[in-house]
Amino acid sequence: MEPLLRIEDLQVNFHTTQGVAQAVCGVNYHIDPGEVLGVVGESGSGKSVTALAVLGLVPHPGRIAGGRIRYRERDLLNLPAKELRKVRGDRISMIFQEPMISLNPAFTIENQLTEALRTHRSISKQEARNRAVEMLAMVDIPDPAKRIRDYPHHLSGGMRQRVMIAEALLLDPDVLLADEPTTALDVTVQASVLDLMRRLNERIGTAIMLITHNLGVVAESAKRVVVMYCGRVVEQGAVGEIFGNAAHPYTRGLLKSIPRPGGSELYEMKGIVPSILELPQGCPFHPRCPQAMPRCVREQPPWRELAAEHHALCWLYE
Amino acid sequence: MFLKRLLKNKIGLIGVIVIGLNIAVALAAPLLATHDPLTINLEAQAVPPSAQHWFGTDEYGRDIYSRVIYGSRISLYICLLSVVLATVGGVATGAAAGYFGGLVDNVIMRCMDALMSFPAILLAIAILAALGPNLYNVIIALGVVYVPRFARIVRSSVLSLKEKEFVEASRAMGNGNIYIIFRHILPNCTAPLIVQATASLAYAILAESSLGFLGLGAPPPAPSWGNILSDARNFMMENPMMTVFPGVAITLAVLGFNLLGDALRDVLDPRLK
Amino acid sequence: MLKYILKRIIYLIPTIGMVAVMVFLLIHMIPGDPALVMLGNDATPQDVEALRDALGLNQPLYQQFFLWVGRVLTGDFGVSIHSKVPVLTSIADRFPVTLSLTTLALVFSLIVSIPSGVLAAVKHNTKSDYMFMLGTILGVSVPGFWLGLLCLLVFSVQLGWFPSTGFVAIWENFWEGLRYLLLPAVTLGLFMAAVVARMVRSSMLEVLRLEYVTHARAKGLSEWKVINKHALKNAFAPALTTIGIQYGMLLGGAVITETVFSLPGLGKYLVVAINMRDYPVVQGCILFIALVYVLINLVVDLLYGFFDPRIEYK
Repeated sequence: MEPLLRIEDLQVNFHTTQGVAQAVCGVNYHIDPGEVLGVVGESGSGKSVTALAVLGLVPHPGRIAGGRIRYRERDLLNLPAKELRKVRGDRISMIFQEPMISLNPAFTIENQLTEALRTHRSISKQEARNRAVEMLAMVDIPDPAKRIRDYPHHLSGGMRQRVMIAEALLLDPDVLLADEPTTALDVTVQASVLDLMRRLNERIGTAIMLITHNLGVVAESAKRVVVMYCGRVVEQGAVGEIFGNAAHPYTRGLLKSIPRPGGSELYEMKGIVPSILELPQGCPFHPRCPQAMPRCVREQPPWRELAAEHHALCWLYE
Repeated sequence: MFLKRLLKNKIGLIGVIVIGLNIAVALAAPLLATHDPLTINLEAQAVPPSAQHWFGTDEYGRDIYSRVIYGSRISLYICLLSVVLATVGGVATGAAAGYFGGLVDNVIMRCMDALMSFPAILLAIAILAALGPNLYNVIIALGVVYVPRFARIVRSSVLSLKEKEFVEASRAMGNGNIYIIFRHILPNCTAPLIVQATASLAYAILAESSLGFLGLGAPPPAPSWGNILSDARNFMMENPMMTVFPGVAITLAVLGFNLLGDALRDVLDPRLK
Repeated sequence: MLKYILKRIIYLIPTIGMVAVMVFLLIHMIPGDPALVMLGNDATPQDVEALRDALGLNQPLYQQFFLWVGRVLTGDFGVSIHSKVPVLTSIADRFPVTLSLTTLALVFSLIVSIPSGVLAAVKHNTKSDYMFMLGTILGVSVPGFWLGLLCLLVFSVQLGWFPSTGFVAIWENFWEGLRYLLLPAVTLGLFMAAVVARMVRSSMLEVLRLEYVTHARAKGLSEWKVINKHALKNAFAPALTTIGIQYGMLLGGAVITETVFSLPGLGKYLVVAINMRDYPVVQGCILFIALVYVLINLVVDLLYGFFDPRIEYK
């Protein structure tokens, strides 16, 4: 099967006053039609920047320095602005971490829900509203015909995230980039929003790139997992492989940090994520790695296949 | 440290230089002037710029260049004193309102609201219409006009500070209200006060020249910039250059304070950028 | 909504009361005998006494105040000492000129400031942005009345593009009236344009960083729509407060502009009255302008809710 979206050797640099920082450094991964791909990493790992790069929305002062992003035969990085806008929100849509600040406070839900629809399709106002109400019902918003006239501040965080999801799926996109969609929500709401996304994935068939810092979120939803650290993909594989047979010390650390009911004391990885302005030589994880070798300090680790569809970026498997 | 950052800020540096030049001109006016600013010379009435009278003369034959030079004294004097007055008045009323709260706060702030209900220049005009135009009344009028801006800043920062632990602790140690206000509260709102004061200096120069132009500033024949422009207006056709120079002087003086104000805001309160 | 407006008006009453007290006290701030000051030193003692009586200066202060407020509330702003014309009649004659001047200045400054502020924010830290900042700082530094004098000199006297004497009301002949108002309105509105433009720029810069702007882009909207719909409506709310305050600057500045351009408005009337020591007129004009300003700010507050729906009308 041909991948839907393929990120090839993506490089994103941030040009700051203190120098050039490599936020994304040679990232490769793909997403297949209809699948749920988990992208996991701490903040600063480049996972959100990669997603924004797909839509050509890398924030200032970031610049894409190399690589390709292929979507159905098209290279998104070299698409004219007008063509790229036709992809945004229509074929590839995105939802954001903070539903509180991602909806525009100055416009009604209806206004915001229907504008993407009316931008990409020639459709009457009435028709757009009907579609929007339908979609709100699908994301379990009670009394959607009335809620649609509200402003975002009338809704709770969970409700707003549902509105965002409704909006993102309104045009039947091929891919939904979900950037930490549940992080800002209450724990009880998190589960239901995740559940909703899973159901919609099955029902509509939209592929979802689920970006999160929480491996636990990925376990139940994703088919495959990509683990990122300091702008690099450090491990990639089927969800069973990652959870049952994690290869990279960083992934193992993340797994051990997941709280489990009745589990023993929580593992805490030593050290902190280095600033991308001062990345260590060799493997960027070596200062925190319990299995670091002299070689890790000197040389960049290689990308090794460990099993079918299971790769890691580590000297341990040389 | 703070000064260093300010001077590193190019805009601030230009502002400081312009203001410094302005002050230097005011101080050295007797050395820089070529004529006495008040001497009437009926032999050279309203002459255009020449080697003798660099900016020309007005209808009484007074040398405009010298009047503009001396004008910087009057403008700076009025604007500095009025802003000092406004700052002192604003700090006193604002601190009292915020610190004591209740009725005191209500009465003071209603008065401030009322003062702010007049367009600034109109309030100054009203006060001067009653008191009569003279140098000190101009200072009082402008001072009163700008009091509310300072009072609001001080009041809000007093309100946010008075419940803080270090203030409570000081009170528990038996320190008096005045001591607490001066020792603990005011030092915490100097940054916005300085920014406001610099901005007010710019406004005050503009306001002073407007009042002078209307005949409500320092009474003639004092060579204030507003007065010179007011005189120039009657001779605009004969000697257009007479209008140009005082205006340039005002613009430069205001520009200096505005540039400094912008730089101070950037340095002291990056949030307001 | 109506209830909210009513409530806002009721809140204004104490402020308006204080404004009235201040305007009333104006006459009592005059050093010496106000009646003597108004009539000048040539006045006979009988004339002075008659004026004291007419102005009620012989009664106790509080009584004078309530009588004055009572009269003002019934539309009696007193009578001009010199022309004997009721002050309110003269205000009604002249205010339309001032209103048309300030409105035109407002329109000019908004037309200039909003697009340039938005553009500067979009082109943040480029040459155009720096030029914009230079322009606005000059705009807030140049005295408008001086600029008015220069424009009068160049465009009216030298080039003859605009009339330098006389006046045609804009509501009688729009295009002809515009010729008389254009220079005054532009020089009056320049300061406001610069202030509002800076405000629009800085609040646009703040808004453009926010997630909902990225979200709007991610929807595939055109950059025009992202900026002028999503960002501008939010950025406009803080700028609106500035516009309200600046309208006061226009009303105050009109006093000077009308003097420069010899426009028969309220400001010119006020200045003439001050020079003639016609205090009932001075009081009336100042009270009237202050009330207009208070009213404008009320309207601005009510408009605020349109740009920021989070403000509830309660």
